Amino acid sequence: MADAFKNTPPAPEDKGAMTAQNIAAALAGESQASQKYLAFADVADAEGYPNVARLFQAVAYAESTHARNHLSVLGGIGTTAENLKGAFDGESFEIAEMYPAFDAVAKLQENKSAQTSIRYALKAEVDHQGIYDGTLKGVEGKKDLDAKPVRVCPICGHTVIGDAPDECPQCGTAGSYFREF
Amino acid sequence: MDEAFEKRLPNPEDLGAMTEESLKAAFAGESQAAERYLVFAEQADEEGYPHVAKLFRAISFAETRHARNHLRVMKGIGATAENLAAAFGGESFEVDEMYPAYGEIAKAQGNAQASRSIRYAVKAEMDHKRMYGEAREKVLVGQDLDARPVSVCLICGHTVIGNVPDKCPVCAAAKEYYKTF
Repeated sequence: MADAFKNTPPAPEDKGAMTAQNIAAALAGESQASQKYLAFADVADAEGYPNVARLFQAVAYAESTHARNHLSVLGGIGTTAENLKGAFDGESFEIAEMYPAFDAVAKLQENKSAQTSIRYALKAEVDHQGIYDGTLKGVEGKKDLDAKPVRVCPICGHTVIGDAPDECPQCGTAGSYFREF
Repeated sequence: MDEAFEKRLPNPEDLGAMTEESLKAAFAGESQAAERYLVFAEQADEEGYPHVAKLFRAISFAETRHARNHLRVMKGIGATAENLAAAFGGESFEVDEMYPAYGEIAKAQGNAQASRSIRYAVKAEMDHKRMYGEAREKVLVGQDLDARPVSVCLICGHTVIGNVPDKCPVCAAAKEYYKTF
């Protein structure tokens, strides 16, 4: 790429607390918009609007660039070791606090679908917490992960390193549907 | 995808208000985790950890599944015409209210990087608002968009239908920085 036209995302900055709060809110908004548009793209495809689906995918990507810029301004992008630690802590909070509390409320209010959605997420976060922990130990010793595929259930997010199971242990989806990375 | 596959998704549900609050918060959390992990993947690639990068991308995908499940339970996924109206509404709020307010505060507090991150976003949201409005007009009469490429500047999210400019009009990145959908 020609250096004359080179550009980079906005840099970290630590000044006004109100501004930091706003950028954090904007990060939340952009992240949610991106996820909504990805879901909307699937619906547009299913309804026979492939070009509308493409628009949703492109705009979802644009919102991801905004989310990344805001995250950068907030100083939220560290080294890989720091990022793995941050990811591990986030998963741990969801497992230990957030989802159990939400699940208790959904049970109390007898919202069955909500309980399913919460259970799917909680189970997968336990996978993620364990995988991040092992990966962090490797990276602290300058070791990359092994070159094994990572497979994810497209229904519940169950995540495994290596072969997909015949059937997802969390939601029963056939292993052939798992997406490979 | 077959019916058995779709059947395992948690369905839309009339929710207790507190359960709805919980799912909204969980949707916000999963959406932000998905974006963070994509950024962390780029960082891991740069540091020479391609398999850690792959892991972050896989887990980001898992979080998008959780976000989509929560959104579905909250009845946040409609028909494409409804989704375009919701997308148009969201972009309008950001263009008319959110980013102008955040921009003023960032300026008052002398946050140059935050101001740049906000300016990049608001410029792109104007394009998105217009594109979603036009797409909705078409879908309301049963028409898809034209089959033209949609391209996005990976620095600032500038979004263009058709030819890519030599230089991004918002952030001046070279056209090699655009990703085409």
